[in-house]
Amino acid sequence: MTRYIIRRLLQAIPLLFIISLVLFILMQNMGDPLATMGGRKVTRREDRIRLARQLGLDKPVILQYVYWLVGNDWAKTDMDGDGIAETPGSRKGVLRGDWGISLVNRQPVMEVIGDRLPNTLLLMLVAEVIVISLAMLIGIYSALHQYTAADNIITATTFVFYSMPVFFFALLAMYFFAVNFKKWGLPYLPTVGMFEPEIGKTTAQVAWHMVLPVATLSFGFIAGYSRYIRSTMLESLGQDYVRTAKAKGLPRLEVVYIHALKNAALPIVTIVALDLPFLLGGAIVTERIFGWPGMGRLFLDHVSRSDTPVVLGILMMIAVAVIIFQIIADVAYAWLDPRIRYK
Amino acid sequence: MSTKIHLKTLLFVLVITSLVLAACAAPQTQETAAPTEAQPVVVESTTAPEVVEPTTAPEVQPTEAPTAQPAEAAKKVVTFIWTQEFDTLNPLYTNMWFVSVLFPVYMCQAWWYDDKNNPIPNLVTEIPSAENGGISEDGRTITLKLRDDIVWSDGTPITSADFKFTYDMEMANSNAVASRSPYDAIESLETPDERTVVATFKEPYAPWLSSLFSGSSGISIIPAHILKPDFDSKGTIDNAEWNKAPTVGCGPFVFDEWESGSFARFVANDKFWLGRPKLDELFFRFVPDDASMIAALVAGDGDVGTFFAYSDLPELEKAGIKIMNSFSGYNEGWYLNLHAEKGNPALKDPKVRQALAYGFNREKLVQDLLLGRTKVAATDWDNTPWVDPTITPYPYDPDKAKALLKEAGWEDTNGDGTVDKDGVELVLKYGTTNREVRQDTQAVAQQDLAAVGIGIELQSYDSDLFFSSYAENGPSANFSLDIIEYSDSPNFPDPDTSLWRCAEIPSDENPAGVNTSGLCDDKLEALFKKQESQVDFNARQQTFYEITRYIFDNALWIGLWQDPDLFGFSDRMTNVKMSGATAFFNVAEWDVTK
Repeated sequence: MTRYIIRRLLQAIPLLFIISLVLFILMQNMGDPLATMGGRKVTRREDRIRLARQLGLDKPVILQYVYWLVGNDWAKTDMDGDGIAETPGSRKGVLRGDWGISLVNRQPVMEVIGDRLPNTLLLMLVAEVIVISLAMLIGIYSALHQYTAADNIITATTFVFYSMPVFFFALLAMYFFAVNFKKWGLPYLPTVGMFEPEIGKTTAQVAWHMVLPVATLSFGFIAGYSRYIRSTMLESLGQDYVRTAKAKGLPRLEVVYIHALKNAALPIVTIVALDLPFLLGGAIVTERIFGWPGMGRLFLDHVSRSDTPVVLGILMMIAVAVIIFQIIADVAYAWLDPRIRYK
Repeated sequence: MSTKIHLKTLLFVLVITSLVLAACAAPQTQETAAPTEAQPVVVESTTAPEVVEPTTAPEVQPTEAPTAQPAEAAKKVVTFIWTQEFDTLNPLYTNMWFVSVLFPVYMCQAWWYDDKNNPIPNLVTEIPSAENGGISEDGRTITLKLRDDIVWSDGTPITSADFKFTYDMEMANSNAVASRSPYDAIESLETPDERTVVATFKEPYAPWLSSLFSGSSGISIIPAHILKPDFDSKGTIDNAEWNKAPTVGCGPFVFDEWESGSFARFVANDKFWLGRPKLDELFFRFVPDDASMIAALVAGDGDVGTFFAYSDLPELEKAGIKIMNSFSGYNEGWYLNLHAEKGNPALKDPKVRQALAYGFNREKLVQDLLLGRTKVAATDWDNTPWVDPTITPYPYDPDKAKALLKEAGWEDTNGDGTVDKDGVELVLKYGTTNREVRQDTQAVAQQDLAAVGIGIELQSYDSDLFFSSYAENGPSANFSLDIIEYSDSPNFPDPDTSLWRCAEIPSDENPAGVNTSGLCDDKLEALFKKQESQVDFNARQQTFYEITRYIFDNALWIGLWQDPDLFGFSDRMTNVKMSGATAFFNVAEWDVTK
């Protein structure tokens, strides 16, 4: 198993290299970071020329990529615009742990990402726990009560939620539970942010402000996951070994949760393992609407300003997480299904 | 059966949890309920700026003693719903309107502008003028006389050394500052004593008033005693800690906290030399989604918002939000591709350009799309004192448009509904950014102009793509479009703009040029050249009357609407005034009724 994991990690290195190169080249076509620099004015010609030189944006794309990868402390830059490169570079490159400086605020990329990651993880992990728990309960209940009125109602409801766009649900929930509830004099939820300025960032405040974003993030996933679980559970419950377990008189709970669910969980592990890395990327729409300071908004803000270092930092982090979670999923398979062995 | 029990247990737990959470929120309900008895907001819309009149420094207005910190419960907090988060708070490093509009909040400038867009001294004792010796005879040297009582929020006196340090940081090659304007036009900046700053420009520089350590396009000074050690040790202030946490400032409010993506907080500066602000705290909540901003304002979760879509105004007003228009020189309009080689030949004929103006019902556009909250723009400088007052927008007259086209030789000879000449159909490519109101305008224009026989192909782009440079093959710079819609106001309240200059035409040799129309007209260029060194206001104004008249008569630019900055204030706010140049100039006077 250890050799298998090491081999998979080694295989990931060229893959990450190719991903980074492709993303870097694609980012060059996302727009000009110096066009307006987030302002309302078109950047003055003299400033555009100077900044392109100072930030290294006047170099050929491949050279910019090399600088991003291995740094530029071995080369010199023309900082004063006299056409002679005189100032040694200061970047160490990704391979030496330097992810560069944001073109938006000149802050180190890892610092920019580090500010947001905890907020995203808080929101997404809570949502994921709720999603998996509720989806399991609903899925198993539906499978055990196939074609009953309750199953049909759950099926219909999940399809409604599953097909509802996230932004629509989010705004609907906001106007209903925050704006209108307040208007009607009912206890209401907050519209945006993580806390009220008058009260401060307390645990209760953050939890209260998480209700709507978590609900928005969860509703579609609960609907989707519960359908998977229902279908895999139905398949497992129809297997011979389940009938055998029942026949030998095992308690129903043990049959369902130990025998059937363990087998039914295999495809769910795949889906969850694929989803988990993207938790790091945050939820762009939900974070934007509820003003949650997470990675999704960071990504959007910096993509809109063509901030290649930060965008690449986020994308590469997700790429690494995808690879790691895939390996974790493979290990989990082996634990769930003793027939699976890796060499 | 046991599964049912489990589900019931879960349901029970969820209900209890919800109730507990709801109980946590109860105090909020009481706090914010029934905002009925609020006094009406005392706000005054800005009017078109008048002739700039130098004023003298305001007297220090003693306010209630800033003795003890206000009790937590009595704190006067105003919440801003800010749709764009700051990139940096160092004034030298930002181009963002959402930051520069806050310079009068947390930083200080040589002078600010009032609600009539007249300069009012902030750091100086009086606005430099020829009469008080602040402007030299040759118009190249501007002398700033500093007040005696100006201090940073940590008590350190503000001196001419801070001005010199700011200038040096602007010009240091190791600092990747956002813009060096106007400092790269300065020949020398000297500080003969602690209270005097002398800036000598290479040539007489007319726009100094709007940009020399002041105005929306200028910058604030930065604290030398905080940042100099940083510069000395690292050789740059690009990533100084102060840039994101300017805990030492010089505005009526001082930076307190900024959590990335979430909020920023500024608290009252007890040492502000014009008196402690009436509010205790300004809280900025970053909410990037427009619909969420509206919901937050309607729900009372915020007091101040900006950049509204016109279609949201009725809902905001219904919720008690007072809307204020602040004209900051932006006029939405069409820059026509008049490039000598790459321009559309049809647009070279002034009659065709005038037909575009007559054939598009812009008055109806303003009424329907912008709810009549603004006016049709006649020139690129509407709402400034630089426009010939006899100019009024071309009226909607489709018959006249057709007649002008016919005079120019454009007629629909093949009956396809579009006029043609020498076998060429008059079809124009019309591009802009994907801002909703711009895309709506495109659709209306296409419909109106089709009625007079002008075909329009619509294109829209993300802002950073649209404004990409010629080198990046940006559509607004590569002359692939015939009509380019946007608005710009690089130096308000100064009229100076580089968008019209011959030297700014993008080309292989000049890939960063910003003259998107490609127009290089000898007469116009001479007038622009003349005004840029006219330090005398009246003389410069006369030159600009000529400029605006010439552009208007030749339909070199076609105005769509005057594009004010829309601000909304909750009904509990009082004493709010707005300036087009430095919007929050009187933030120290703002107050709340509850």
